[in-house]
Amino acid sequence: MTAVRTVVARLAPLLACLGLLAVWQCASFALNNDSFPTALEAIRAIPAILGDKEALINILASLRRMAIGFGVAVTLSIPLGLLMGRSRAVASFFNPLLMVIYPVPKAALMPIIMLWLGVGDLAKMLVIFLGVSLPVIYHSFEGAKAVEEKMLWSGAAMGLSAAQRLIRIVLPAALPEILTGCRTGLVLALITMVTSEMIARQSGAGNILFNALDMGEYDIVFAMIIIIGAMGICLDAAFERMRKRLVRWSEPQFDIPLSFS
Amino acid sequence: MKVLPSRSDVQVEPPLARKPATVMIEIDHVSQVFHTSSRHDHLALSDISLTIEDGAFVSILGPSGCGKSTLLYIVGGFVQPTQGAAKVKGRAITGPGPDRGPVFQEFALFPWKSVLGNVMYGPRQQGVKQAEAEAQSRALIEMVGLKGFEDFYPKELSGGMKQRVALARTLAYHPEVLLMDEPFGALDAHTRTRLQNDLLNIWERDRKTVLFVTHSVDEAVFLSDKVVMMSRSPGRIRQIVDIDLPRPRRRTDLLLDPRYQKYVVDIERMFDDSGDNKLPS
Repeated sequence: MTAVRTVVARLAPLLACLGLLAVWQCASFALNNDSFPTALEAIRAIPAILGDKEALINILASLRRMAIGFGVAVTLSIPLGLLMGRSRAVASFFNPLLMVIYPVPKAALMPIIMLWLGVGDLAKMLVIFLGVSLPVIYHSFEGAKAVEEKMLWSGAAMGLSAAQRLIRIVLPAALPEILTGCRTGLVLALITMVTSEMIARQSGAGNILFNALDMGEYDIVFAMIIIIGAMGICLDAAFERMRKRLVRWSEPQFDIPLSFS
Repeated sequence: MKVLPSRSDVQVEPPLARKPATVMIEIDHVSQVFHTSSRHDHLALSDISLTIEDGAFVSILGPSGCGKSTLLYIVGGFVQPTQGAAKVKGRAITGPGPDRGPVFQEFALFPWKSVLGNVMYGPRQQGVKQAEAEAQSRALIEMVGLKGFEDFYPKELSGGMKQRVALARTLAYHPEVLLMDEPFGALDAHTRTRLQNDLLNIWERDRKTVLFVTHSVDEAVFLSDKVVMMSRSPGRIRQIVDIDLPRPRRRTDLLLDPRYQKYVVDIERMFDDSGDNKLPS
């Protein structure tokens, strides 16, 4: 009985994917619309895209921009968030700035940024950077704020300086919260990556998608959606694996995984 | 012309079994004001002066809100007093330091470190070599009764076990003074009794100076050489009671001992006579 349950639990994500494809297939048949290909047609178009050298270079260029934007954002946001969480002065300086930037859709800044930096890599990486920064800063800030005062006192009694306490106590203690922010940031990086390429049509995965849309190649449009979605799932699953390993010490014993890892 | 005595003259010690009483902690007219949001300031501690001798086990006893923990934090250097000063071994306290090791009611363990990692943290910070720190820490973990749990994370331990780790972690960097802030307050009665016994056994080995904050009268009498009774609003020292009971102490013996019972009853009566019990606690 338990063995059956384990198998069902393991297969559940796969079954959900197959179910989605089945619904898609049926809906497409039912609507019989040229701009809505069947799931099978879309899947059949995937090898053609992945086999095309030009398309692969585009997708890799997208991933590269995303990686750089994400990496720079995380490197700067974590220290800033931690400092804000531990220093009232730093928090009250940066909080209003962040409150202004937070509700603005980062893609909406794209046209202005393009005016400054052109349509190249730099503009897109900047938009990705902005998209990733806010959740990472916010979660680092919350994580650092929640660190128990007595834990810091214990460190101080052992002779840790203020800087050492920030790096060796606040950082690890806030790590679960920081990584939650990074996970949100990773998905946002993918989203802003595609939207930036949609606005600055020059290269990348988003460019393939919207070019195909212009040409009426709807099977390619949907194939690209599947490819981008799969990239998101893979990145998230890889990140979850790393996150779980890093914060094993804080995880509750039983939880329902909200990822494919 | 006066001739100063040479060092060897000064150092001659009388042949006493116990260490001569030297002053470890001096609290000199300390007051502490907290600024509250409702604009009228709260006087947490009012003009506290207290001297604690080297090797003494001193409890600070009082109702919640009498500022007893604040007094401990001032000695720890975690809180700066509004007025007055505190000294340890004649040096003014300006901040926390490894000569004063805290043990908190909240344990405050590093959750990302194993039991061994927590205990080794202090010695490693003090520059003790990895292998040596590990050997010392393993011995301490055994001493507090947690042999076999070296690789456990704090979340996998019970409250009593966590407090044992916290005690070992603090003992590991050899503080001269132990500052214990209601360390057994969050534990159930059974665990609490066992930890009190174990603490006394450990303390008997090297008789470090201990400043122990508690609101439990029998805990204070059982453990201490001296009980400092505090009253609240504002926090003041009411009375200092010397506990003249033989050591090593055994709880089961003491409970039958009329002298122990008298200390407990006298102290409880003194608290009853004050207005403290009429305030909401």
